[in-house]
Amino acid sequence: MIRRVGCGLAIVAIWLLVFGTAAHLRWNAPLLPQQRLGLDANAFRVVMGAGSQDGTSLRVGRVGEDGSALQMMPVAQLRAEDYAVLRYRFDGFPRTLELSFVFRRAGEDDVQTATVPWPGDGWHSIDLNEVPGWHGEITELGFAEYATPQIAPESNAFRPFRFDRTELWSASWRGSFGALYTSWFGCTPWALMSISALGPQREVAQPAPLLPFALAATVSSLLAAGLLLRWPRRLLLQRLCMACAALWIFLDLVWLGDFRAKHQLTEAVYAGKGWSERAALVPDQDIRLAAEQLRSYFSTQPGHQILVIADSKYTFLRLIYQMLPLNAAPLDQALGLRWPRRDTRIVLYQSTQWHYDDARGALIGAGRALAVEPVFEAGDVHVYKFRGAP
Amino acid sequence: MSAAFVLAWILPLVCGMAVYAAIDPRSAPGRRAAVFGYGLVLGLLLTAAATALCARADTTHAVRHTAPCLLLLALLAGATTWWRTRRAVRAPLAAPPARVEKWKIVLGAAALLSLAWRSWLALREILLRPTYPWDAWDAWAVKSKTWFLLGHYAPFVSTRDWLGQHPPDAYTGPAWSYPSALAWMQVWFASGVGDWIEPLVNLPWFALWLGLLAAHYGQWRALGLSRLQALAFVYVLGSLPLLAVHVALAGYADLWIAALLGLAILSWLRWLGERNRNQLVLALACAAALPLLKLEGTVWLLLFGATVGYGALPRQRRKQVAAVLVLLLLIMAVVGKLLLPLYGLGWVNVGTESIDVPVLGRLPIGWHPGALGGLTLSLFAQSNWHLLWWLTPLVVAWRWRELRAREATRLLGLFLLLGLSWLAFLFLGTDAASWAESFTAVNRLVMHLVPATVSLCALLCCAPRRARRGRASAYAVQPAAA
Repeated sequence: MIRRVGCGLAIVAIWLLVFGTAAHLRWNAPLLPQQRLGLDANAFRVVMGAGSQDGTSLRVGRVGEDGSALQMMPVAQLRAEDYAVLRYRFDGFPRTLELSFVFRRAGEDDVQTATVPWPGDGWHSIDLNEVPGWHGEITELGFAEYATPQIAPESNAFRPFRFDRTELWSASWRGSFGALYTSWFGCTPWALMSISALGPQREVAQPAPLLPFALAATVSSLLAAGLLLRWPRRLLLQRLCMACAALWIFLDLVWLGDFRAKHQLTEAVYAGKGWSERAALVPDQDIRLAAEQLRSYFSTQPGHQILVIADSKYTFLRLIYQMLPLNAAPLDQALGLRWPRRDTRIVLYQSTQWHYDDARGALIGAGRALAVEPVFEAGDVHVYKFRGAP
Repeated sequence: MSAAFVLAWILPLVCGMAVYAAIDPRSAPGRRAAVFGYGLVLGLLLTAAATALCARADTTHAVRHTAPCLLLLALLAGATTWWRTRRAVRAPLAAPPARVEKWKIVLGAAALLSLAWRSWLALREILLRPTYPWDAWDAWAVKSKTWFLLGHYAPFVSTRDWLGQHPPDAYTGPAWSYPSALAWMQVWFASGVGDWIEPLVNLPWFALWLGLLAAHYGQWRALGLSRLQALAFVYVLGSLPLLAVHVALAGYADLWIAALLGLAILSWLRWLGERNRNQLVLALACAAALPLLKLEGTVWLLLFGATVGYGALPRQRRKQVAAVLVLLLLIMAVVGKLLLPLYGLGWVNVGTESIDVPVLGRLPIGWHPGALGGLTLSLFAQSNWHLLWWLTPLVVAWRWRELRAREATRLLGLFLLLGLSWLAFLFLGTDAASWAESFTAVNRLVMHLVPATVSLCALLCCAPRRARRGRASAYAVQPAAA
C-alpha cells in the first residue's frame, strides 16, 4: 500500500515538474494570484470600429475603415513586472478574426501589439513574460481585432461579437498552467507556413510544444511506477508500449480538434457559396481585383510580354498567377539578364521602391531607369510601354 | 455535376485498376485494397501522361481527346488480365479468419471512424477553398492554369530565353523547370469540369490520400500482417498530421512523391519476399515516375535504384562492390569530376566544395550546425509527425534481430538510412540549411520517406514469431499464373 501511495506521489511530482517546466512556472509563486486587476469590457473606449455597452460587456458591431476594430482603456500606475498572466473572455468571437493584445508604455507614442490565441468559449490566458515589450509602466491597454492575415478575406471576415472582460494576474501556479492550457489546446488558423510545419505559430509568444513534454511525463511516470512497484521488465515494456499508443491517440485527438477548428474558419468563409463567389473570396482580394483590371485592359490589346513590379515577392507572384493566361514575369528576375523587347508592357502595382518620373519619362527604381510611356492606370495599377534604356 | 466530370473520375480509376490487375493478376491477401489504391494513383498518373500526349493542341477538350486512349488502355489491360488469369490455378478458399476479440473490433472501428472523420474534413476543405498554399499556385498550378485557359500547350522556359522570345510563345516563371505531370493531370480535371474551378481541380489530392491508405493496407496484408495489424498501421499512417495537411491544403507535389515512393517500396518488398516479378515491374514503374512529379524524385529514384541494385548483387559480393563504388564516387567527387546525369536536374556536378545543379544553381557545401535545431524541432517537438520519429529508432533497436534476419527489412532499412543520411547532409552540410532553420522544406522532404518508414515499423512490429528463428517470412501468396 505504501509503495502504491509513494508511486502516486512520485507521478504527481513528475507531472508537476514536467508541466511546470513547460509552463515556465516560478516554483516559489503562490498557487493563486495575489494581485488581480479585473477590467470589465464596458470600461473600454472604442477607438476603431463601433461598439455599444451591454451590461458589463461591450458589443462590437462594426470594424473601422481599415478593416479592424480597437478597444483601449487607460490604466494608472500599472507596472508590467507585477503581472505575469493576461486572461480574456469574449463571446461569439468570429473564427475569421484574429485578436491582438495592445498596450502602451509610459512616454511612448506607439503601442505594442502581440497576437494572442483565438478566444473561443470561456477564459483564455497568455503568459505575459513571453510578450516582447511587456516591461516598465503601462499607461493604456486593450484589444484589436482584424481579419486573420493570410487566410480570411477582409470583406467577409467581420461578424459582431461581445467582449466580456479581461484580467491581469500576478504570477501564480494557476495562471501559468492556464496559459499553458490555452497555448496547447487553443485554436490556431491555417497559415502559409502550415503546409511546411505545424509548429511555428503566428502568435508572438511561441508556446512550449506539447509533444516532448507529454512524452517525458508519460515515460518518466511509467519508469517511476516500474521502479517503485517492482514491475518485471516484460510488464514495464508492455505498459510502455500501451502508454505510447495511448499518447499517440491523445496527440491525434488534439490534432483532430485543431484540424476541425481550422476547418471551421473555412466553413465560415466559403460554405453555401457558389464556385465563382468562392474564387473571389481570397485573402488578397486587392490583388485579385488588380488582376481583373489588367486582364480586362489587356484583352483589348495584342499579345505582349508583361513584366510585373511590386514590393513583395508574394504580391508580384500572386498578381501574375491571378492574371493568367497573360504572359507575365517578375521584373526582379529579368533585371540584368537582357533588355526586354521594346513593346514589352511593365505593370507597376503598389510599389514604394519604383516610381514613374514624368519629367524623364522613366520608371526609376533598384538603381535603374527604364524609359517608358504610361498607357493605362486604374487605382494602384499602372501599365507602361517599355521604350528602352534611357 | 456534368457527365464529363464523372467520366474524368471513373476513367482514371478503371484504367489504373485494370493496369494493376494486368501487371499482377495473382491473388493475395488484401488484393482488393491494393488494386483500388494502386489503381487510383497509377490511373491518375497514366491520365496525366495520356493528356500530355493527346491534348496538347486543345487542352479545353482534354477529356474528349484523351478518354479514347485511356479507354483503349483499360480494355487492353482488362484483356491481358483475363489472358493471364485464365490458366491460373484457382486459389483454394482461404481459411476463415481467426476469431477476433470484441475490444479489438471496437478499436479497429474507432480507427476507421477517426480516419473517416479526418478524410471528411480534408474533402470539405478541398471542396470549399480556392488553391491556398504558396507553391501550389506559384509552382504547381501555373502551367496547368496557363495551358487550360490558353486552350493549348505553351512551353515554359528560363527568364533569359523568355526575354529573347525563344520560342516566341513561351511562358516563364520561378518553377519553369519543374516537371509537368501534375499540371497535365489538373488540365484533365479542368477539362472535365469545363472551367478552371480550383477546388475541383485539386480533388485528386483527396483521391491520392485514399489510394495511399488503401494501397498500404492491401500490400501490408500481402506482406503478412493480419487485418487488424494492417488497419492499425493504416491508422498510424493516416493520423500523421502533416500528411492530412497536404491533402486538405491541396496543391503540393510532396504527397505524390511520398505516396509513389511508398508504393514502389511496398512492391519491391513483395518482390524480395515472394520473388514475384510482377511486383518488381510495379516497383520500377512507380519509382521511374518519381522524377516526373518533382525534381527531388530523381534523387529518390537514384537511391532506390542503388538499393535495388545492391540487393540484386550476390550476397558475398555486395560489400566489396559497394565499397569499390563508394570509393570511386569519393575520388571522382574530390577531383571534381563526379558528373551525374539526373533527369530533370541536368548534369549535376558533385565536388568537395559545392554541388552544382543546373536548374537550381550552386549549393555550397559547409557545416551548418544551426540547422540541427530546426531539424530536431521539426521531427521531435512540433505536431507534424506525432511520435513517429521518437518510436522508429526504438522499434528498430527493439526488433533489430528481425530487421537483420529478413532480406526485405534489411534492404528497406538500408534505403531509409541512405535517404535520411542524404537529408541530414542536405540540411546540415549545404546551404539548404536555411530550409530547416525556417521550417520551410524540412518536413516536406522528410515526408517523402514517411510511408516507407511506417512500412518498416509495421513489418518489424508484426514480424511473425517464426521469423525470429531465422525462417522466411510468412507470406501467404498463391502460386503464379502462367
